[in-house]
Amino acid sequence: MEYPRNITTVQATTILISTIIGVGVLPLPLFAVQGGGTGAPLVTFAGIVLAASGLFILTILGIRHPQKTLISYSEDIVGKWIGRFFSIIVISFFLFLSGLAAREFGEVVVSAVLRETPLEITVIVMLLIACISVRYNINTFAYIHNFYVPAILAPGLIIVALSLKNANPLYLRPIMESNLTSMLKGMLTISALFQGSFIVTMIIPFMKNPRKAKKASFWSIFITGSFYLLIVIATVAVFGPEEIKQIFWPTLELARTTAVPGNILQRLDVIFLAVWVTAVFTTLFSSYYFTIFSIKQLCKLKDHRLLSFFIMPFVFFLAMMPQNILQLYGVIKLVGKAGLLITILYPGLLLMIDIFKSWRKKKRAAQQS
Amino acid sequence: MLHNNRNIRLLMSIFLLCPLLLSGCWDAQEIEQRATVLAIGIDEVNMDEDNQKSEGNIAHSVNKFPIPEKDMIRVTAQIAVPGRIPLGPAQGSGGDTTKPVLIVKVVGHTLQDALVNLQQQIAFEVFLGQLRIIVLNEKVAKKGTQRFNDFLRRNPEIRRTASLVVSKESASSYMKLIPELQRIPALYLADMVDNLSALGRFPPSFIGLYWTILSSKGQDPYLPYLTIKDKSSIQLSGLAYFNEDKMAGKTTPLEIGYFMAIKGIAQGGYSVFIKVPDQDEEVLVRAISRKSKIKVSLKDGKPHVDIKIRYESEIEEKGSQNILINDSKIVRKIEKEASKDVSKSLKKLIVKTQKAESDIFGFGEHFRAKFPKYWNKQIETKEKWNKVYKDLTYDIHVESRIHRVGMKAK
Repeated sequence: MEYPRNITTVQATTILISTIIGVGVLPLPLFAVQGGGTGAPLVTFAGIVLAASGLFILTILGIRHPQKTLISYSEDIVGKWIGRFFSIIVISFFLFLSGLAAREFGEVVVSAVLRETPLEITVIVMLLIACISVRYNINTFAYIHNFYVPAILAPGLIIVALSLKNANPLYLRPIMESNLTSMLKGMLTISALFQGSFIVTMIIPFMKNPRKAKKASFWSIFITGSFYLLIVIATVAVFGPEEIKQIFWPTLELARTTAVPGNILQRLDVIFLAVWVTAVFTTLFSSYYFTIFSIKQLCKLKDHRLLSFFIMPFVFFLAMMPQNILQLYGVIKLVGKAGLLITILYPGLLLMIDIFKSWRKKKRAAQQS
Repeated sequence: MLHNNRNIRLLMSIFLLCPLLLSGCWDAQEIEQRATVLAIGIDEVNMDEDNQKSEGNIAHSVNKFPIPEKDMIRVTAQIAVPGRIPLGPAQGSGGDTTKPVLIVKVVGHTLQDALVNLQQQIAFEVFLGQLRIIVLNEKVAKKGTQRFNDFLRRNPEIRRTASLVVSKESASSYMKLIPELQRIPALYLADMVDNLSALGRFPPSFIGLYWTILSSKGQDPYLPYLTIKDKSSIQLSGLAYFNEDKMAGKTTPLEIGYFMAIKGIAQGGYSVFIKVPDQDEEVLVRAISRKSKIKVSLKDGKPHVDIKIRYESEIEEKGSQNILINDSKIVRKIEKEASKDVSKSLKKLIVKTQKAESDIFGFGEHFRAKFPKYWNKQIETKEKWNKVYKDLTYDIHVESRIHRVGMKAK
């Protein structure tokens, strides 16, 4: 199947950036501090490196099969049925991810902003917007992401810059604090926040120049990585590791503590939340698009539009499963870590088999001639 | 026919969409329907004054549910009366005698318990999003603030930038006080506390910072300590220092300046009399800016702190005509005298906090950050650090520079 090749390298980069930056921004410093105490920036950095390696594997795989998405080339590599089996796992994982993102969004909105609005309403509204946007083709998808990226990045950076006034560099030392196992766990949790980057497998077949996917992957992980790292450094420097352990969403709290000088805005959380809603939307949009597009490919359907509303109740049901916020975060951490098997280990295996196969093919060709 | 059908469909969908789009915000609340709490004062319950009766079994019934063991508190809230908060300067000749705020007193076992009781007395929903200042009575602060922090952290309406202060008099008297400079008492109080740090009278202090310091292991929090003068004006009378969450004592106002010097807060503000050497007269010297460097080391396994402070000051006033400030030699002498005086007072302040086991300077944070091995082995907890802080050794080096003497030549 040949796809229209319309997506530029810049668009691919922005799709990745706005997909990766999502709900995870809020609890990010908490995850990092739970893993490494004052060593939170180091833990974050390690997580980014791990995530980057996963993305790199996916990009190479994609470039080796520039006409196909993961769903179709996995069938080529490991055989039809095994490939399909794993594809179903991947799809259901992203279905889970969409549900959890929607729920986490609802949970933040209900406990911090709109306290009277039922949780179900916020979640449904978010899912509906995603559903409607998913009905368009991949070009619209790229445009939407491209449009929102500056709006997501800029306010975050402004908040970080303004908050540094209250920073105490002592909170960032010593750089290595806790034991290695908890740091490793923290690293896994952090790199799970980058799982949205899996979307790259879906974009490559649509890129004007698939070879440039490497460039797009590098820049997207570089930009999101430094963005996340900056947020962790700023929050830890302002609050200190012990205080961060006491709050669910340190980044939101950072925005609440930071004021624009000159009494223009006494707290920045309003701006931050507005931005954050768009960030959540783009992430949800991507993972939902990926789910539906992959189902379409798996079942060899012609159009994905019909699926968008058909799948929504399932996502909603998944979103409503956790009883409360504590259970939700338990599930998120668990699913995130398990997901690393799917988003890093599985593509890694595919790549190894693929390279081995092509090596054998070459050898055979050499023997025959 | 087909055309017609499409039109009807369009019309139908518009009608169906209308209730969705016109419904507005679920959390909508009119500003007049809100009891906006501007300030809260927390006192101990005085059994004679307000007896148990005023707590009417609201959040719990007597003897049925577990009632918290802790002493009861009395909360005085200042609530803005809708429509009476003047925006901008007062209009006309001030003939308006209606009060812009309402003051309500309630008692409770915990802060939220008291606020629940408060809600029971007020028709509108209590809204804490505009809470600017919380006044704690000294006695309550001495028993510990941790019991209030939980509620304040959990509630999303509370701002982290709200102020927290300790008062000598009962906190309710601060709520009732009517300042002349501003129409709304709570806002005057809050502005005053906010401006203290802008004027260099007090290090930055707000409730978020207080929590941050309280949570970290190597330092103890501090808060402004206020008193009421002449029944109508509020004065910053020192700094309340804490041992963990319990207030341990207070300093004099001048010592706040020394505290800021050790903290290395550049904005100077305090003036001090310095005796001119060889003479019986004094000059008033004001700190303009300060810089401090704290070096920590382990001497034979014992923590040691080396504090270097550099002052930039100016001479504001001289005590009598007998002193001639006309050459740099005498200024040099005054500088030396100032350095000596300051380092003496600094020592006094440190000894005072050491006695109270209250490391408000955050020396412990330096040790935690720079000697993690020592910290993890010997200290680990805040209580342990406070014990060690008691016997901490230190050196102080002060250097003053007087760069300005004002517009007078002599």
